[in-house]
Amino acid sequence: MSALREVLIVDDEPPARERLERLVGELDGWHVAGTCASGVEAIEQAARLKPNVVLLDVRMPGMSGIETARHLCGLEIPPAVIFTTAYDQYAIDAFEARAVGYLLKPVRRERLESALSYASRVSTALLDGLPRGSGAGPRRHIAARVRDELRLIPIKEIQYFRAEQKYVTVRHLRGEDVIDEPLKSLEDELADQFVRIHRSVLVSLLHVDALEKRGDGYALRLRGGETLPVSRRQLTELKRRLGIG
Amino acid sequence: MSRPGVAEPLSAIPASTVRQEVEVESFLPDFCQPRMVFAVVLISELLAVVFALVRVPDGPFWPSLGFISLFVQWLGLTGAALLCVARPRLARLRVAEASATVFALLMLNTAVFSLLAVEVAGGEAVLGIVPGLPASSWTFLLRNEAICVIVTALLLRYFYVSHEWRRHVRAETRSRIEALQARMRPHFLFNTMNTIAALTRSEPATAERAVEDLADLLRATLKASDRPVCFAEELELTRVYARIEALRLGERLRIDWDVGGVPPNARIPSLTLQPLLENAIYHGIEPLPAGGAVVVRGRVDGGQLVITLSNPVDPEAAARPGHRQALDNLRERVRLAYGERGSVETESDAGQFRVTVRLPLET
Repeated sequence: MSALREVLIVDDEPPARERLERLVGELDGWHVAGTCASGVEAIEQAARLKPNVVLLDVRMPGMSGIETARHLCGLEIPPAVIFTTAYDQYAIDAFEARAVGYLLKPVRRERLESALSYASRVSTALLDGLPRGSGAGPRRHIAARVRDELRLIPIKEIQYFRAEQKYVTVRHLRGEDVIDEPLKSLEDELADQFVRIHRSVLVSLLHVDALEKRGDGYALRLRGGETLPVSRRQLTELKRRLGIG
Repeated sequence: MSRPGVAEPLSAIPASTVRQEVEVESFLPDFCQPRMVFAVVLISELLAVVFALVRVPDGPFWPSLGFISLFVQWLGLTGAALLCVARPRLARLRVAEASATVFALLMLNTAVFSLLAVEVAGGEAVLGIVPGLPASSWTFLLRNEAICVIVTALLLRYFYVSHEWRRHVRAETRSRIEALQARMRPHFLFNTMNTIAALTRSEPATAERAVEDLADLLRATLKASDRPVCFAEELELTRVYARIEALRLGERLRIDWDVGGVPPNARIPSLTLQPLLENAIYHGIEPLPAGGAVVVRGRVDGGQLVITLSNPVDPEAAARPGHRQALDNLRERVRLAYGERGSVETESDAGQFRVTVRLPLET
């Protein structure tokens, strides 16, 4: 009897969680590994419980289902994801277009059963085109894998990203982590808040203290004292973004 | 769209199709249309008959009618042609300016053709229509101008009133459609269904009550007209709605009711308070991970009923679509019902969103 497959249920509404828990519990061959009320909690639990499938509500406060799914893709053994939604036409259209699994609430037992048996892993590539968070705006966290768990770093707390040879280092208020997202895609996604100051460094405007002249070049001082060299090519753009020329 | 009140309450009528009808249109009909030209011919002929009847008590009726018809039709059709040509410009003017322009155009038209008629027909033939009156081309002109002014004034008044009436009917229809759309937020409906499905087995009694509550809410929505209800009734409906949401949101939703100061029999338009609470929950409480408190306050202030709702908002979350719709809809309904005496105002600062509705206090 080792064939029981594990399901993690994520929904911010208690009755919705209870109902899915009961439905999954009644299906042969499936077992509810746990339930969570938020995306952040789901990521912790998924790393710990290693479920086969995550049933993920699209519309949740804080971290949306779609952002949660993106982070789940970063787990060492990413679970299959099935989105659940009561009514979210944009998300549904996007799921249809990309053949991402989803269920409409109230979920029917038969549909749940067939969705679970056909559940497949979603990839970041599939999720990339989805509306980020269905009305919740762009993602608010970056996930870094530390051994086999995911560490969520609020984007607000990130001071800069620095591209190393094979990976990207995230410097944030609580330390430093390594992620494997390319700097270019981070720059594109977070263009509102971040600016490139060097070929390999993307800085958060929220944490800039001052632009200083250093010899024949410039350096950027961050709140907290650290300074980073600014390349000549990026200087004009940086000044523009800082509103000083 | 023809019977929005009953026919398809749940169909998603895209907001854009409803909005398009709001475009400002002139109160003047389109004189370029064949239908309108026919109407001009008909009205001109009826006028000609009236003039003929009045002017020739004992004289030869038919020849007089012939002459008068020719002249009146001529004026009517040239006038219509002028208004047809001027239509694009007239449409941009305000009602008073457009009316003045129409007067000027038609009076000029009358003057030109009155004088021309005297010239062409050699005076006697035309002026002879009216025996016993001084046969001067000036009195002929002045009389025609007087008739032109009176007839134009009557027609303009008629056009204006019927246009206003049409506009009113349309606005009412639109606000009902919007009210339905706003009430039947599909998101709310499906989430509630899901909640009920969940409770059916675990808490059958709660599920039963939720179905009753939902039925009450839907009934009130379908009935919704701008007929005023008493405050107590609206408050009860709002509490019914709040009960449904509480099942779903649990402790994340807290509502602070402070409405003791409102006389229970005060009249307010139906579905005034409930949509405001729905808005506060959908845009304010739901996107907040920890939830928050909605404060509902009602008081009487200087002969006015003042209702204020405030809710926290997540400053980081992007606004959910449809944010203004419910508020715009309520504002329109309050305007239709009370004109200047009612208002809907919103303000937001420091993560709080507040709506204030002021209505004249009527019991």
